[in-house]
Amino acid sequence: MADTPFAITNTIRKLRFEHGEMTQQALAERIGVTRQTVNAIELGKYSPSLEVAFRIALVFGTPLDVVFQYQPPPDR
Amino acid sequence: MSFREKSDWLSFVSLCLLGIYFAEIARGLMGGDHPGGHYYFTLFWALVVVLIAIQVVTHMVLAMRSPQDAQTPVDERERLIHLRATRPAYFVLLVGTFLTIGTMHMGFTVWQFAHCVLFFIWIAELTRYGLRLFFYRREA
Repeated sequence: MADTPFAITNTIRKLRFEHGEMTQQALAERIGVTRQTVNAIELGKYSPSLEVAFRIALVFGTPLDVVFQYQPPPDR
Repeated sequence: MSFREKSDWLSFVSLCLLGIYFAEIARGLMGGDHPGGHYYFTLFWALVVVLIAIQVVTHMVLAMRSPQDAQTPVDERERLIHLRATRPAYFVLLVGTFLTIGTMHMGFTVWQFAHCVLFFIWIAELTRYGLRLFFYRREA
């Protein structure tokens, strides 16, 4: 679980809708997690492991950086 | 709510039932009695049997209502939630154990000593399930 939940953003919801309005449940089944985990990832409340991140990218057939974006925290 | 979260709610609520036993003991101690004997023995085991029965029946109903959810293995987020909840619960158990050891020097009877241990195990389990539920909701 990310200590800085908004450092990593994603476009999963948009990609789901672009891929035949895939439901969270359908995506969850394809990547091997629960629907609640997919929801938490979409809302930025949970950062998935690399393996799950790659699986998501594979499902949508897009590069990883299209699915997930890292926003470095501003320098203090 | 995932199957595991529902399961944890059931476990948490059914664990709270054991509070009846500790409340009865507290009531007996405050009344100046030395709780023990047949009543408390029966009450304890009756509550354990009820707790097990509630857990078995409710989990069966839960699994029958959503078999796919029940068969889904624990995923990485749930594993992380479980680990995060176990750490403070273990700390509670550790503190409770040391406090219980301290009772040896306070003239506690064996019966009281054993119930101190049981009490802190119960509190640690409530802490574990309570934190799991808190993290589920926070990360949902």
